[in-house]
Amino acid sequence: MADIATDVHAHVDHHHDDHHDHHHKETFLTKYIFSQDHKMISKQFLITGMFWAVIGALLSVIFRMQLGWPEETFPILETFLGKWAEGGRLSNDFYYALVTMHGTILVFFVLTAGLSGTFANLLIPLQVGARDMASPFMNLLSYWFFFAASLVMFASLFIQTGPASGGWTAYPPLNGIRDLAINNGSGLGLDLWIGSMALFIVSTLLGGLNYVATIINMRTKGMTMWKLPLTIWALLFTAVLGILSFPALLAAVSMMEFDRLLGSSFFLSEIIINGQLLDHKGGSPILFQHLFWFLGHPEVYIIILPAFGIVSEVLSVHSRKPIFGYRAMVLSIMAIVVISFLVWAHHMFVTGMNPLVGSIFVLFTLIIAVPSAIKVFNWISTLWRGNLRLNPPMLFAIGFVSMFISGGLTGIFLGNSAIDIQLHDTYFVVAHFHIVMGVAAFFGMFAGIYHWFPKMYGRLMNNTLGYIHFFVTLIGSYMIFFPMHFMTGLPRRYYTHSNFTTFDNFGGLNEFISIMAMVVFLAQLIFIFNFLYSIFNGYKLKKGEENPWGATTLEWTTPVERLHGNWPGDIPAVHRWPYDYEVNGEPFIMQTTPLKEGEVEH
Amino acid sequence: MDVTYKRDNILKGSSSNIPPQKFALWLGMASMTMYFAAITSAFIVKRADFNSWANFKLPDIFIVSTVIVILCSVLLQLAYNNYKKTNYKTYRLLLGLSLFAGISFIGTQLVGWTSLQNYGIFVDGNPSGSFLYYISGAHGLHLIGGIVALLITFVRAIRNRKNEIYVLQQIADPKRLLKLELIVTFWHYIDLIWVYLFIFFKVNYI
Repeated sequence: MADIATDVHAHVDHHHDDHHDHHHKETFLTKYIFSQDHKMISKQFLITGMFWAVIGALLSVIFRMQLGWPEETFPILETFLGKWAEGGRLSNDFYYALVTMHGTILVFFVLTAGLSGTFANLLIPLQVGARDMASPFMNLLSYWFFFAASLVMFASLFIQTGPASGGWTAYPPLNGIRDLAINNGSGLGLDLWIGSMALFIVSTLLGGLNYVATIINMRTKGMTMWKLPLTIWALLFTAVLGILSFPALLAAVSMMEFDRLLGSSFFLSEIIINGQLLDHKGGSPILFQHLFWFLGHPEVYIIILPAFGIVSEVLSVHSRKPIFGYRAMVLSIMAIVVISFLVWAHHMFVTGMNPLVGSIFVLFTLIIAVPSAIKVFNWISTLWRGNLRLNPPMLFAIGFVSMFISGGLTGIFLGNSAIDIQLHDTYFVVAHFHIVMGVAAFFGMFAGIYHWFPKMYGRLMNNTLGYIHFFVTLIGSYMIFFPMHFMTGLPRRYYTHSNFTTFDNFGGLNEFISIMAMVVFLAQLIFIFNFLYSIFNGYKLKKGEENPWGATTLEWTTPVERLHGNWPGDIPAVHRWPYDYEVNGEPFIMQTTPLKEGEVEH
Repeated sequence: MDVTYKRDNILKGSSSNIPPQKFALWLGMASMTMYFAAITSAFIVKRADFNSWANFKLPDIFIVSTVIVILCSVLLQLAYNNYKKTNYKTYRLLLGLSLFAGISFIGTQLVGWTSLQNYGIFVDGNPSGSFLYYISGAHGLHLIGGIVALLITFVRAIRNRKNEIYVLQQIADPKRLLKLELIVTFWHYIDLIWVYLFIFFKVNYI
């Protein structure tokens, strides 16, 4: 046994250049903080992501209080927010800061870093059969750049002029001028926002390069591309999307910082503030939107693709059935990736673009519904006549499919420029993207956490709490976002609607939505309690229980206890595809089992 | 049951013969290409608006910097070839020269910016000028990254150069060769980007 351990270390330590240390000891610092083990880095991403998720959700609860009861005062807000809520009434400046930070935190810090950071790190080496990432050190850097980005963003919440408040899209000219006369967030808050995003982009790129290099170069013997689990396919294309689209965001924010600090005019032209004409001349704010959405649209797929992969895997394992249409699933992800680069301007139908250009973007936007529908069809077909185990991961995976359909259908309306021009910047849009990429991606993430928790911590999560979490979140989310479709013409981003008599009849509905938002927020605390409690007190998997779900993929062949290097002996070779459930009269066949005499490869 | 195999795959990629580091570098270059594509296409979009575009003559010093950058690539390639032929002395010399060329490139860029200011073209003026500063500056930052890598390689090469056993060990180490290859590849890439940018500027400015 000792020999095997030394052997593993000898292999694992290859990256330590010439310093081979056969008695490589892990200190607290190298094991938990500056760890190069992909499994530990995945936990770091997950827990940082969960921290951000609580903050982001809490911000939404605060601004929902404002929207639900615009005339009320809440003294508790003054206690916590001080001058931002004098007399218990949220200031309009801070309302915008809350909305901006809610969007930024959820889109980037939770659903990009928290979701693909966690599952790419955990699953890629384990499921392709590698001891670690291509470059464990780069992987460590990826997390610490994310941590630095988090620190900067978190610090911006506490500065005197408040955090960025010009929307998560940071459109100029509002955000292009460093002048507090415009709004408080346009000062240091936005500088920190831009700095944080730059660090974040570096983190994403370092991570992405590693993920792709590992999947392409480090697969174990027999693991051809067509034997990869769908999680890996999805994470591969997520990383490719990030590598190719985040540079455009870097260009956009760095050029904007030029405008703000050095006085250039990339995105600014002929602006008058308080009767004063500014020096900025000759720029174009629409140019920023093009650069931003060239990232921004692929970004929504960066968020949803990992959830696609997780859900495909979870549905198949817990239906005890092969995934329906494996190749169609892969090809539809590929199609989505390609088309996602050609639809960015559908966020810009109201910028006065040429209707001909608009119609081309409408066309591509509607085409992307085809591969999405193929995926939905395949998920439902996988469930069809399956031997369903309705445990929390499975429920969340089914919930994901439900959310994705509900939110996807409204996308067809919004994708048409003629309708979008009417619906632009109304609550219809808020409902659409929250359901299709917000809640759906969260459901994918929850499915993944419940499913792979035994792999991460060697214990099981509590099922009862999982059921409560699921049903409250599913029903509550629909209660929050479904009514928004019918708040006809109600503009988003407004601090209060009380001045418009047209919208008076939505008062009750807004109150209802706000109450539901609080209920759903509390349900997430149940999840966090369950998560933390189960790390220490969950049912501990015993030897021989490494594979609690009866899944076929490689990660379940590793021992329960964490081991840098993943397998104590040699890395197993792969002989079959990952979805052999209920074949040859057996409940499941591991990928490592050789084909039987006369059995054909799938 | 034969479910395992003997050769561990972490030392050598089993699914492809390209070392993962090399593959990651190519991906990184794809990413950088997207960045330069984004900023030059922003340039094209802005330039299409004739009313607000103030054209000017590109300073001639950028021709010099382009020649230097090509020279730098040639020197570095020769250094690499000599390293492979275990011609360590010539390798050191060529490496030093290419490092010098790389640093002088930054120098010529600074001269270029100064002459722009002498023309009265400033960062905070018309976007036509801001673009030149921004794009050449962004390229310069990438190139400085290359200089740092080259500097480390150079220090490693001249350190202990009298100690023949150390030198032989260095040359025999395949990891060193791979590292050098990655650095040379990145330099060719970033030099090529400048040649592209130079032609791009030449076409778009007077």
